[in-house]
Amino acid sequence: MKPLMLQGHTRAITQIRYNREGDLLFSCAKDTKPCVWYSLNGERLGTYNGHNGAVWAMDVDWQTTKVLTAAADNSARLWDCETGKQLFQWDTNNAVRTCGFSYSGDTIMFCTDRQMGYNPTLDIYDIRAGEQLANNAPLLSIPIDGPKVTSAVWGGLDEYIITGHESGEFSQFDVKSGERVRNVKVHTKQINDIQLNKDRTMFVSASKDTNAMLFDADSLDHLKTYKTERPVNSAAMSPRMDHVVLGGGQEAMQVTTTSTRIGKFDARFFHLIFEEEFGRVKGHFGPINSVAFHPDGRSYSSGGEDGYVRVHYFDPQYFEFEFEF
Amino acid sequence: MADDRERGGRDRNQSESASLGGSEDQESFVNGHDEPDFSDPEDYVDNISDEELLGDLLKQKPKEADGIDSVIVIDNVPQVGPERLEKLQNVIRKIFSKFGKIVSEYFPEGDNGKTKGYIFLEYSSPANALEAVRNCNGYKLDKQHTFAVNLFSDFDKYSGIPEEWEAPEAQPYKDPGNLWYWLEDAECNDQYSVIYDGGERTAIFQNTHGGTEQALVEERARWTETYVRWSPKGTYLATFHQRGIALWGGEKFRQIQRFSHQGVQLIDFSPCERYMVTFSPLIDSKDEPQAIIIWDINTGVKKRGFHCENAAQWPIFKWNSDGKYFARMGQDSLSVYETPSFGLLEKKSSKIPYIREFFWSPTDNIIAYWIPEKDNIPARVTLLEIPSRQEIRTKNLFSVADCKIYWQKQGDYLCVKVDRYTKSKKGLFYNLELFRMREKQIPVDVVEVKEVVNAFAWEPNGEKFVVLHGESPRISASIYKMSNKVELLKCMEKKQANHLFWSPQGQFVVLAGLRSMNGALEFIDTNDMTVMNVAEHFMATDVEWDPTGRYIITAVSWWGHKVDNAFWLWSFQGRLLHKQNLDRFCQLLWRPRPPSPLTASQIKKIKKNLKQYQKQFEIKDKMRMSKASKELVEKRHALMTDFEKYRKKKRELNRQQKEQRLALRGGVDTDRQDSESDVEDEKVEFFVKEETIVLSK
Repeated sequence: MKPLMLQGHTRAITQIRYNREGDLLFSCAKDTKPCVWYSLNGERLGTYNGHNGAVWAMDVDWQTTKVLTAAADNSARLWDCETGKQLFQWDTNNAVRTCGFSYSGDTIMFCTDRQMGYNPTLDIYDIRAGEQLANNAPLLSIPIDGPKVTSAVWGGLDEYIITGHESGEFSQFDVKSGERVRNVKVHTKQINDIQLNKDRTMFVSASKDTNAMLFDADSLDHLKTYKTERPVNSAAMSPRMDHVVLGGGQEAMQVTTTSTRIGKFDARFFHLIFEEEFGRVKGHFGPINSVAFHPDGRSYSSGGEDGYVRVHYFDPQYFEFEFEF
Repeated sequence: MADDRERGGRDRNQSESASLGGSEDQESFVNGHDEPDFSDPEDYVDNISDEELLGDLLKQKPKEADGIDSVIVIDNVPQVGPERLEKLQNVIRKIFSKFGKIVSEYFPEGDNGKTKGYIFLEYSSPANALEAVRNCNGYKLDKQHTFAVNLFSDFDKYSGIPEEWEAPEAQPYKDPGNLWYWLEDAECNDQYSVIYDGGERTAIFQNTHGGTEQALVEERARWTETYVRWSPKGTYLATFHQRGIALWGGEKFRQIQRFSHQGVQLIDFSPCERYMVTFSPLIDSKDEPQAIIIWDINTGVKKRGFHCENAAQWPIFKWNSDGKYFARMGQDSLSVYETPSFGLLEKKSSKIPYIREFFWSPTDNIIAYWIPEKDNIPARVTLLEIPSRQEIRTKNLFSVADCKIYWQKQGDYLCVKVDRYTKSKKGLFYNLELFRMREKQIPVDVVEVKEVVNAFAWEPNGEKFVVLHGESPRISASIYKMSNKVELLKCMEKKQANHLFWSPQGQFVVLAGLRSMNGALEFIDTNDMTVMNVAEHFMATDVEWDPTGRYIITAVSWWGHKVDNAFWLWSFQGRLLHKQNLDRFCQLLWRPRPPSPLTASQIKKIKKNLKQYQKQFEIKDKMRMSKASKELVEKRHALMTDFEKYRKKKRELNRQQKEQRLALRGGVDTDRQDSESDVEDEKVEFFVKEETIVLSK
């Protein structure tokens, strides 16, 4: 089926996310206005206006009522999903790079950058308070010394947060104590994206060192490696098949040295277990910054540096394709 | 005499008037006076030694041993009769007194009254004798007489050589192993060297399984400091280092030989692999030319050094096909040297004013060179036979701007591409002068090309050649054949190419647009002029055929392009077989093969029976394919079982945690909602179009 091309952003896409039921697709970009679309036909429902800087990350809670965004204007904001109204704003002293709702949707976390002398911090807030949000103090504010956090997800049963750092290492922080429980270094360069699988037991990480890797979420054991020759910006696991999709590109500086012929940037599909590449989908005009699978596994989306979000529905052959083993 | 002196000394101590000389006794009695007694007292011991008083005199005291060391024997002296003897003696004295004082001379005479023809000369010291030997040995007195001068003591030395000859001690033989082991590979797979990691790592790979697998043979870090070179027959791998070159070979790539040449930058091998030429721009002294050195590879010995006057094109020395001669071009001359003496052929160079460029024929001992137009003498191309230096063919060329010489691999044809000025001297037009070397009188055919010629290449083992002409974007490739006339077989237009690569066995050619043309590739079969495949390796910088002509590698080198460094392997038909990415990959070189030892008739026989061989190969291929997939399948099966085990544990754990999950989401069982079985079809209506139809009045 022909891919849907969603044009709505004026700058490069930074992250895309499906909601739990998969009917909505959220996208944020460097143009300060996150959008929400119908994933079925690509119709845009609206935008969340308020940020003054590039929006680096966003998340939607499991009930699709609230939206959380993290931006370069030193704020993380909470919005009402349906109306687009801003519910709350947390001001930080640095750009906020990553954010996420917990499994329960009651708590949120976000991480800040290291700039202007401030250390990055991992903040955890409880958002159940409602009108009392204004007086909210963080449940926990964990300072990060060492390489800054570039990507983070809530783990398992909301007991810990898994962070990926600029150096390529992963840490596990206990939510109650704030302690760094585990630390693992397998990647050699910055972690660009971490995404959990459907049952939240494993996650796949995309790194600038041209590899994507599969880890166990609890023990941080390294399970698989998917090799490419370009820096990987994002990776996602199919909820239906044993597949991983990788989206990447190259250094922004070197974009002009790659063929400028139409749609040369591709998303690559690997077999989860055999680590073998079996397919590529071309179409983007620039490096791919974010990929996500639809929760039913019948389609996937990718957002690129070119500002477009492409929604691809799989052909029947995709589901029939089997590796001989 | 000593006594008198003694007394004189003593007298000096006592009085001035004492007389010297004479015997004291006599004097005293003659005068009748009692002369004072000047003799020493009985027990007087002189406190001055003879050496101190009379050293210089004592030195000249004739000693028996000295005599022999200071004597020289001069042979080949003219035999003269007594009447001319004095003249001869004067001449000899004049010549030989230059080296010291001649103390004595002896001209032995024979029975016939003439001198015997050899003379003995004695100098006052052995040093003089040595000088005389060094300078006068070989002195040509006249046409018939060349002196042979030797130390007399030498005769003794040489006659004293023991009768029994002792053989020199045998050095233990350092066996380098089978240097050609790679040719014995059952599958006839070829090797190639790869430099990657920005030059840090060098590896040797073998192209196996019909191109689908690249097996690593050997890999070393910092094996070379800049790049590597294979010897022409593939026996050695040469690596570059600050201190010189190292040659490696054999099964384990052990170091076979080392050559010390500080700062070496370029090397060249003789085609027979016996000699290697190295060039270093660093040190060069007046007496010991060190810029270019020629080495014997087997012994590691330096054979000869040369200066390098100008930074001309490398290789400065060009070898002929069997390594017997090598030549170099000077400003106005062509110097041909021969091996193994490494001296100038016939001790003279050929004077060829304004010689511009020369090339050996790849098979015969013929040099082709050209001279530009000068002073109304037209430019010309000459074929010179070595060693006779006979000009077997010359062709005058008019209005020449530039020439380029191309030999065909078998030496059957020679092409000279001539750029000529038009009558108005403003534009250029192009000719190809084609010499047919195997025909009597070497006839020349001329082909005129209307557009600028970008590339030219002869078909190896064949009679065709390809010319790339034209300006981008309208570049064409014309394929010609040297039949009775030169016939144009086909002209293919609008090609994106700036380089031509023939298969080393002929018949197939690749048109490549390298670097600025973004790596466009076209694979052509010249037997029927079909384009077998059009492909692209974006930003390819190099194209290399394997020595057998079965595979082609296109590469993007880190030296040319900083991203996407990789090499791709294609079949000769243009089918992409394998892509290999390597971090900062720099250089790839196929290992050359020595020429096939099969005779022409044997090759013909094999080609005739090709169908039989084909059957065998197909069976082999099928087996290989099934084996490969079987291996792969087994590997995958193992991976799957391992992973399943892991997943099972996780699923168990997950199930146990279900309670907690329910609690987190307020009792809502999202697990069940998300699972497949609960999918219900939902009808969604989309607003498509609104149309207003006005009902007429």
